[in-house]
Amino acid sequence: MLRWAAIAAVALLLALLPLYGDAVTIQYGINALLVAVLAQAWNILGGFTGYASFGNSTFYGLGTYGTAIAMAQFGLPFWTGLLLGAALAMLCALLVGIPILRLRGPYFAIATLGLSAALSALVANLDIAGRNIGLILPLTRNDTLFYEASLALLAAATLAVAWLSASRFGMGLIAIREDEDAAAVMGVNTTLYKVVALVLSALFTAVAGGIHAYWITFIDPASAFDSTLNVRMVIMTVFGGPGTVLGPVVGAFILSAIYEALASSISTAAALFFGIVIVLAVIFMPRGLVDLGWGFRRMGPRYLLETVRQYRL
Amino acid sequence: MSDALAPLLEARHLTRRFQGLVAVNDVSFSLGEGEILGLIGPNGAGKTTLISLISGTLVPDEGELLFAGRRVERLAPFRRAHLGIGRTFQVMKPFPGLSVLENVTVGALFGTGGGERNRARARERARAMLDFTGLAQRVDQRAEALGGPDRKRLELAKALAMQPKLLLLDEVMAGLNPVEVDEVVGLIKRIRDEGVTILVIEHVIKAIRSLSDRVFVLHHGQKIAEGDPAAVFRDPRVVEAYLGKRRA
Repeated sequence: MLRWAAIAAVALLLALLPLYGDAVTIQYGINALLVAVLAQAWNILGGFTGYASFGNSTFYGLGTYGTAIAMAQFGLPFWTGLLLGAALAMLCALLVGIPILRLRGPYFAIATLGLSAALSALVANLDIAGRNIGLILPLTRNDTLFYEASLALLAAATLAVAWLSASRFGMGLIAIREDEDAAAVMGVNTTLYKVVALVLSALFTAVAGGIHAYWITFIDPASAFDSTLNVRMVIMTVFGGPGTVLGPVVGAFILSAIYEALASSISTAAALFFGIVIVLAVIFMPRGLVDLGWGFRRMGPRYLLETVRQYRL
Repeated sequence: MSDALAPLLEARHLTRRFQGLVAVNDVSFSLGEGEILGLIGPNGAGKTTLISLISGTLVPDEGELLFAGRRVERLAPFRRAHLGIGRTFQVMKPFPGLSVLENVTVGALFGTGGGERNRARARERARAMLDFTGLAQRVDQRAEALGGPDRKRLELAKALAMQPKLLLLDEVMAGLNPVEVDEVVGLIKRIRDEGVTILVIEHVIKAIRSLSDRVFVLHHGQKIAEGDPAAVFRDPRVVEAYLGKRRA
């Protein structure tokens, strides 16, 4: 009960930020919220089933382009654009997922790796997508709107994951992560479950891409299909706690804050220090922040030693 | 005894090859409803492969498999689980990061007929299975923290929570001491009394003898003997397969 009250209080505080925050804070907030959505969406497949997707930057790009094409080329409203982008990304997830989610383990990750490069090349040759010049969306100076939309999307993604972790479907996904052969002979339709998780992941990722596109107002193939964005999704989820409800959100917020602080104080060495933070995190809390929290409550600082020993580092 | 029972499972000329090796070679047998069939044979005889062909983990190269009168040899493992085929793994496959209770709950949530969709009721069924298999004290432990004998019990509880019609047991007694073997033999008999048909692979001959209505023997992937346990263990071909030619 107390936990839910705390979560509601934080959500309210975040929702009211445009009332007390300055323009820079709100802009930082939009970025942090959207990145948290991406981490949470990646968590649906990666955290629950253990299948590391490198195709999520593709879904992000499709959400971006779907929204941009609808608004810039056809003059359709923002919400229609979001729908179009989400539909494109989910269709892509379905078409890609059905054949390659039959693959086990690392083959899935490898098969998704080339996807964003391929789609980036594709849109760079499409007239309707502005070729390699990109597209300019109608300008709307309303950061409060973008902020609240991003927050609502993060809330929706987190509620979806909360439902997952309490549902039969989510239990099936977790069983796949823990032992896929055992899950299959116990009656889990493994391929279907993995594909549905990927499609759900694509939905939230694409909507985040669409919001970002309208906010930034300019997109091109390189920024829309940026595979380093996918790496950030993985890092933030793993940092926070894969397969948990709040881990990816907390991980995304903390890493965004660290990066922002480093970038403003020691701009040139920021990336280096960010890397050191990640390395330390992987050594001392390979199961993420959430597990660190549980471990500390159970055994105090000894937790750090135990995990280092357990993972033979 | 088996002649009087309608066959629940019928294998016709099952063959499975791995590159050059014929792991299961033209094996036919049937299993009556409510029967316990013992499957024995030396290491590498193809016993686990045969179980995998029945559970769907492997697909046969040739032959037919009928379950309750229906062809199943090409069905995906989860569909066979929904029909009521449950198995344990010789190389145990717990869900290591989950608690003992969650492990068994997965069986109850999926399993026969697609399982119990309500998570609370599934958890209740899982608890009952843990009581039955003697793991009630371990419900909240992580599966990876269990010792060998408890892992065997967990395998059994997971399969039982599926409420299978046919239970395939792959060496659930290996590594247990004689007292534990007797306990598991008692459990298996009680499971059969609930109406479950059982195919059991075992190296513990005493257990097989006291459990099985019928025994069949695999050697180099082929069936070399089948019938009443006492008679099969006297069969010179079986003695030879186990002990080598000279002793026979």
